Amino acid sequence: MTAIVVATVVGALCAIGTYLLLQQDLVRVVWGLSLLSQAANVYLLAMGNVLPGGPNTVPVLAGHGEPPSGVTDPLVQALVLTAIVIGFGMTAFALFLSYRVYQEHGTLALAELAEAGDRR
Amino acid sequence: MIALWAPIPAATGTDAASTLVVAPLLIALVTAVASLLSGRQHRGRIGVSVLGAVAYLIAVVAIDWYLVLAPDAPGIATYQVGGWAAPFGITLVVDGLSAFMLTMVAVIGIASLLSSIRVLPDLDRHRYYFPLFHFLMVGVTGAFLTGDLFNLFVWFEVMLMASYLFVAYDGGPLQTRAAFWYVSLNLVASAVFLLGVGGLYATTGSLNMADLSRRLAEPAAYGIDPVPVVGLFGLLLAVFAIKAGLVPFQFWIPSAYQAAPPQIAALLAGATKKVGIYAIIRLSFTVIGDAPVDVSLAVPFTGPELAGDSPLVFVGAALFAMAVASIFVGGLGAIGGRSIESVLAYSSIGQVGFIALPVAIAAAVPGLRTLGIVAALVYALNHTLAKGLLFLAVGAVRTATGTSRLADLGGLAGRSPSIAVPFFVGSLAIVGIPPLSGFFGKFLVFDVAARTASSALVLVVVAGSVLSLVYATRLWTRSFWGPQSPAVETAVTDHVQAAVLLALALAIVGVGVGFEPVYAFAEAGAEAALDTDAYVEAVDPSDEVSTGSGGDH
Repeated sequence: MTAIVVATVVGALCAIGTYLLLQQDLVRVVWGLSLLSQAANVYLLAMGNVLPGGPNTVPVLAGHGEPPSGVTDPLVQALVLTAIVIGFGMTAFALFLSYRVYQEHGTLALAELAEAGDRR
Repeated sequence: MIALWAPIPAATGTDAASTLVVAPLLIALVTAVASLLSGRQHRGRIGVSVLGAVAYLIAVVAIDWYLVLAPDAPGIATYQVGGWAAPFGITLVVDGLSAFMLTMVAVIGIASLLSSIRVLPDLDRHRYYFPLFHFLMVGVTGAFLTGDLFNLFVWFEVMLMASYLFVAYDGGPLQTRAAFWYVSLNLVASAVFLLGVGGLYATTGSLNMADLSRRLAEPAAYGIDPVPVVGLFGLLLAVFAIKAGLVPFQFWIPSAYQAAPPQIAALLAGATKKVGIYAIIRLSFTVIGDAPVDVSLAVPFTGPELAGDSPLVFVGAALFAMAVASIFVGGLGAIGGRSIESVLAYSSIGQVGFIALPVAIAAAVPGLRTLGIVAALVYALNHTLAKGLLFLAVGAVRTATGTSRLADLGGLAGRSPSIAVPFFVGSLAIVGIPPLSGFFGKFLVFDVAARTASSALVLVVVAGSVLSLVYATRLWTRSFWGPQSPAVETAVTDHVQAAVLLALALAIVGVGVGFEPVYAFAEAGAEAALDTDAYVEAVDPSDEVSTGSGGDH
């Protein structure tokens, strides 16, 4: 069940991300990029085994002080943490860059930016 | 719990060898931080930067000699970061292949740095140039040294972050737009990279390259199905092709290379491009090459059918298509360029095709493996030196005349011979005239192509060479011959930049004249790339650690 939910979420994030990536507006493109990298992160997390998941499955315990019944692979969580940090920095940079593009060109529409490129 | 924290002694190599492995990375990092901390001390910052670049070169030369080329050299050395043994710890590895790549980067790095110093007169505005430069070097070095797939991703990002800022560096409309495309494309590539890495981890249960290759070589013993690995590696191949700028992933290159300062474009073409090539060679030949996958594939031009029992056949077919397309797209694009750097950027796409073509042949034809990789490495060396020289010459031309548009130039040969002569040498090296380094690059590529006994392949190489001859001639006649334009008449050549160009030109001639040791080095690199057993043995000598748990993910 969990596996199906995770797969659906990854698929939906990828689809929405791609849709936004193809939009005419730079800010939406940045949103698309950010969603796409989130999809990759969730996918990476799922690669460490999605356990059938009782209430006691690590990393979230239902109660306090009980021994955990199952352990998910901790390595992917470490990897995802790294990927999230990198992705966050990159998204911030992309947002800043789209602001600079707006300052330089006075527009965020991709069609007008492409025209500006052709005029050069 | 306490036992976990006890340091595990590094398993291989002497201490000195291990220290040498990590030296270039540390030097670049310390230089970056030191130049960042030097505040408004401009002279201090320049001094630290140059000192760091020289120390980097010395460390790389020491690696070349003591670890690879000396008669009693081990050929491969590892550094287990934090004393955690592979496959659980992070491993840094130097072998012939990474040493060859590091040497190219060290040389072009120091040339680019010295040229940069002369074009940044207003140093208060350019406080972050040198730290960024060294962070770029940190990323490139890390990518060459790491023995772990996820760390390769991290080093890629370190390298890219610095290169994003450099593409946007001059801050004009052209730069912001180019940087946005560049960042967007690479963010998508990073997501794809993560998908590939995640899939490989789920399939094989490991991300350490040595461990991966051991598991893939005997999939039955570890309970792995090697077939999905081929598809997942296809994802990674696309990512590396983006970094290398192979068609159909080349479209960001012209705008990014024109937007970045020419000194950095030299580094982008000479160093970051080679990271993509390096990753393709390392992962194809050292890591997934031994996986048993039955392949039978009908591909035009390369003979009747590609067949084999290795995923390398797929890699060969894909790379072959990308390489041929790159040679033509790059060559034709370069002929229409309107400024020197736009010609050079397109030419860079074509030249990387020439580097990828022998790699493709090496992957597809088992008998030509060593020779194919040697050809690719020699061509890569030539491209780094020659294209680096030409981009730095663009910088020198811009400093002298204030422009690099072909329409505004002409007659530079009369006004600035100290730029023109090295530029001429660089152009000839791109075309492949003896006795320059380019001749041996082209010659080896021809040799490998001819040995496949496919006339179509040889024709592709000939056509690509003719294209490079055409655009090099056009570039030369438009900017260096003819009557002097107004911009050229008042040109004042900067002597330090000219000296750097001259030094690179001499290096190109030197590599061509004294080719034998270079060939030996490239051969050591190719053998290191193919010698999976030695790689696995050096990184992870303990056999029992990793058995058992794989494959049930």
